[in-house]
Amino acid sequence: MVIPWRGIQLSDVIKRAQPTAAAKFVEFTTLMDPRQMPGQRIPTLDWPYNEGLRLDEAMHPLTMLATGVYGRELPNQNGAPLRLVVPWKYGFKGIKSIVRIRLTATMPKTAWSEAIASEYGFYANVNPAVDHPRWSQGSERRIGEFRRRATLPFNGYADQVASLYSGMDLRKNY
Amino acid sequence: MTPLGGIAKQPRGFGVLLIIAATIPAALIAFAIISDLFYGSRHLGSDPIKEGEHLFGNWTLRLLVATLAITPLRRLTGWNWLAKHRRTLGLFAFGYVVLHLLTWLLLDMQFFISEFVGWQELKTDILKRPYITIGMLAFVLLIPLAVTSTKGMIARLGKRWRTLHRLVYVSAVLGVIHFWMSVKRDITEPLIFALIIAFLLGWRIRESRLKRRSAVAPA
Repeated sequence: MVIPWRGIQLSDVIKRAQPTAAAKFVEFTTLMDPRQMPGQRIPTLDWPYNEGLRLDEAMHPLTMLATGVYGRELPNQNGAPLRLVVPWKYGFKGIKSIVRIRLTATMPKTAWSEAIASEYGFYANVNPAVDHPRWSQGSERRIGEFRRRATLPFNGYADQVASLYSGMDLRKNY
Repeated sequence: MTPLGGIAKQPRGFGVLLIIAATIPAALIAFAIISDLFYGSRHLGSDPIKEGEHLFGNWTLRLLVATLAITPLRRLTGWNWLAKHRRTLGLFAFGYVVLHLLTWLLLDMQFFISEFVGWQELKTDILKRPYITIGMLAFVLLIPLAVTSTKGMIARLGKRWRTLHRLVYVSAVLGVIHFWMSVKRDITEPLIFALIIAFLLGWRIRESRLKRRSAVAPA
């Protein structure tokens, strides 16, 4: 199924911070608490998880801070209390349990590209034409469905977001 | 005299119990996949096909480890009757790897039913993705072992049978590498298998060195 998130537009939150002209990116950081999150006791990634967006991506109306899913409040494992949802990007951009949002002038570090740069990029736009080094990204299986479907550029949101990347080489900026 | 002293007798019905025990995981996994896909249950989480694939592969490695553990276990316990069950374990390992492969081909890639995966995509995946190439190789190496597992074949091949069946070492190592290369980041499971198999192979290398040394020793 296509996940029914519930939340607020990230742009509403950023507007309140009144970003200056120097702000080019938004950086997100998650909670660091190995007592509650046993996975953080092992350095699988450089905890706490961090992620980032370009300012125009963050201000886009489709970018959401989710507070609920399936008609209920966000459970812990889905990123309570606030979780980023950027529907045209791969899921690892959806940082969970956000405790800090910062506006920065330079591109922020992101946990997965720090770990494996060749496989995880900053932009992470859904793109069936660009393979992951180890597997194809051309088709997908939706949760709850059996048959594979063709993966769509920008996860089907090309009309709404492709203009953000006009002129960019999306193979280089994966 | 063996370290644990004496030769114990095989427990009654051991062979049958072993076959039943080796079948149970496959039956449960198959049941869980079908139940999740067609009856809306959630035994295997949000991606039952991937999880089923992983479980069949996991049990393949466990059974391969079991076949490799028979000889050291025999030496340690003196229970020589264990040897005749190695074939059962080996054939079941082959069965599990076939299920692993079929789950990947038919359910994950959906080779026969998907318009996105034809021979071209399959060839690309097998040749361009190193972890799949290695997995395929590990599987292919087990085929001659399964085919030559009968008493007739053992008799026909004589001494060459032992040499051929040494391929199980290569297959097991390739299987672990395939597993290691398939995980996103958390290498805990493949690492555990790697350590166990390294230990079992290391034990054999040590045994063959000791044997050679005692054979060469002066009278």
